[in-house]
Amino acid sequence: MSTQASAVKRVKKRRPDQSMGWTPYLFVLPNLLIFSVFIVIPTIIGFVYSFHQYDGLNPMEFVGFDNYKEIFKDSEFWGALGKTARYAVIAVPSIYCVSLAVAMMLIQPLRAKGLFRSIFYWPTMISYIIVGLTWKWIFGDFGIMNYVLSLFGSEPIQFMSNPFFANLSVIIATVWSRLGFYMVIFMAGLQAIPIDYYEAARLDGASKIRVFRSITLPLLKPTTVLVVMLALIDAFKAYPLLFALTGGGPGKETTFIVQYIYETGFAKQELGMASAMSVVLFVLICLFTALQNKLSKGGED
Amino acid sequence: MNKLMKTVTIAMVFVLLTVLTACGSKESADGGNGAGKKASLDFVWFSDGNEGEIMKSIINDYQTKNPNITVNLIEVPYKDLGTKLKTMISGGKPPALARISTTELGAFANQAIDLSASNGGLDSYTAQYVDSIKPFYVVNGKAVAAPMDVTANGLIYNKTLFDKAGVKVPTSQDNIWTWDEFSAALKQVMDKGGAKYGMVWDYTPQRWSTLLYQFGGSMMSEDGTKATINNEAGVKAAEYFKKLHDDGIMPTSVWLGGDNPNNLFRTGSVAAHFAGNWMIGNYKDIQNFQWGVTYMPKGTTRSSVPGGKFAMAFQKSGVEKEATDFINYISSKEVNAKYCTDALFLSPRKDNSKLEYAFGKDMMELFSNELNNTVPAAAQDWSRQTIVPKFSNDLKTTLSDIIGGKTSAKDGMDKVAQLIDKAIASEKK
Repeated sequence: MSTQASAVKRVKKRRPDQSMGWTPYLFVLPNLLIFSVFIVIPTIIGFVYSFHQYDGLNPMEFVGFDNYKEIFKDSEFWGALGKTARYAVIAVPSIYCVSLAVAMMLIQPLRAKGLFRSIFYWPTMISYIIVGLTWKWIFGDFGIMNYVLSLFGSEPIQFMSNPFFANLSVIIATVWSRLGFYMVIFMAGLQAIPIDYYEAARLDGASKIRVFRSITLPLLKPTTVLVVMLALIDAFKAYPLLFALTGGGPGKETTFIVQYIYETGFAKQELGMASAMSVVLFVLICLFTALQNKLSKGGED
Repeated sequence: MNKLMKTVTIAMVFVLLTVLTACGSKESADGGNGAGKKASLDFVWFSDGNEGEIMKSIINDYQTKNPNITVNLIEVPYKDLGTKLKTMISGGKPPALARISTTELGAFANQAIDLSASNGGLDSYTAQYVDSIKPFYVVNGKAVAAPMDVTANGLIYNKTLFDKAGVKVPTSQDNIWTWDEFSAALKQVMDKGGAKYGMVWDYTPQRWSTLLYQFGGSMMSEDGTKATINNEAGVKAAEYFKKLHDDGIMPTSVWLGGDNPNNLFRTGSVAAHFAGNWMIGNYKDIQNFQWGVTYMPKGTTRSSVPGGKFAMAFQKSGVEKEATDFINYISSKEVNAKYCTDALFLSPRKDNSKLEYAFGKDMMELFSNELNNTVPAAAQDWSRQTIVPKFSNDLKTTLSDIIGGKTSAKDGMDKVAQLIDKAIASEKK
């Protein structure tokens, strides 16, 4: 009898009524404590704040749904949300395509594969602030990129002062900083696809594109759902990188929703209003996630 | 095996709880002041330059004279000051003291100790300080903070480039430039002196408002009941600011791209920097060119914008009396004189108006002159610190939109005026 078979037998020996007692709960306890203290309780308190006028210092004043009513009339809020959606629509597919391409490349039997994997993964280990500042040095109007362009006799490009280039810079920096993280997830997904399928396809004479479309993509569906969902949530929560890179400018061109909420709460000292905005964002992200999960049937089949 | 797992789990939870309890008990041990005579004062501080080191030496002197008092300087970056104080106060553990700027002063006024109460009443307390900053620290008839230094906006210029272009700067109040004359002078420095840009201007609404006041405008009416920023003077100031960019005198990279104007001026390729007097200390180490301070140009009138840094003592710190005594010490004539001369600041005390600076005495006097020629509207507007934060960021981004051509000066100023009126209305509720 093989080791695997004996292990299965051991597991099967446990009767359904045989409980493990409170041991599993103890394993969950540390994370549950941390999650409750730092996520659940602040979320509930934020929800309570959203019905008040509150500056963080002086006594709160209950205002009912006034904050929510004001949000629906606030064109700047919806403008910032629209810009965030535009950013997500461009950034998420870009991250998806680039990280999948790199992952497919780096599961091939290449020389120095480990080194290349490290190079792509390295940016994910740097704080967003540093990533933002680094790209600011590159794309700044007096930055490295314009210096290099000037060496070739080209006119400087106003990467940070021009709305189009500022948005482009933000996308490039985002993809660069997140690519490694999603690459790792894709590599795990790709390596989980049985090699037999590819061998069978090769024997049948399928082209590489056909193999990709008929085997790789369908079998990567659970990974794809995970990546798209994580990247989309990331995009809607994006703030430190953008703040360090463009400061939300020029004007408010790259002021996305989280920065707008932050400014409402901490610059304008309207914590109640900012909390209500956070609740709206929370609901939107939940809706997105639920919808996406439903459409993809949770990544099954 | 199962038993072993249980034991390990219980041990892990025990360790975790012990660590959490230990953290909690450490905090309470630190937090309590005890019943002894000794008092420990937490002083939340930020530095623009070397003033943190100067304050440390003042604290050392104070501790030598008052051995029962310990002052802990808690240094934070300026941008974190508001959040840090808010967290400490709303968490029920306010610091004894904080260094605070005009931007935060209004928000914390209700939590501050009235310093005039222990100093012979409000009139005698305010009589010590220059009048222009009184609206900042006197809130609802209480002196909520002690002025430590007073600031003015002014013009720093690259002497080497101006000399190369043969452009002479005004030498007295009688021959100062108009804005058109100044623009022409900057173009000459660009053409003949080789300056890449004529001027850089700090990316803040406060610094821009200097132009507003010089053009005869204001942000709010004198009684603070309605916005005036969109009147003819306000729109002209915004249009002129855009023109300076359109004419290539100012780089768009500061107000649109977020470039640091200090760094650009330091390269030696920018003719002038429109900044505050605190930049004198910052530029002290420049070696690659000569620089100086000259009179700002005028519009329909001359004006700067007053500001300053203050020390605030907080209620419910448990050491209110000791904190008040310490503030009274650091704002005394002698100690304030030492602080301002060493840090190259202007003193807010009337009896320290003539200080012997080791560096840049003439420059400090020029900034002082700008302050003395400031319209009252500047202090009135910027002292309304419960209203200003609600629109100042929008004013900054709207000006960027005007420069970038996304909106006209009139429409932009109308939009800001609406925000000001809304903030005033919500204040009255």
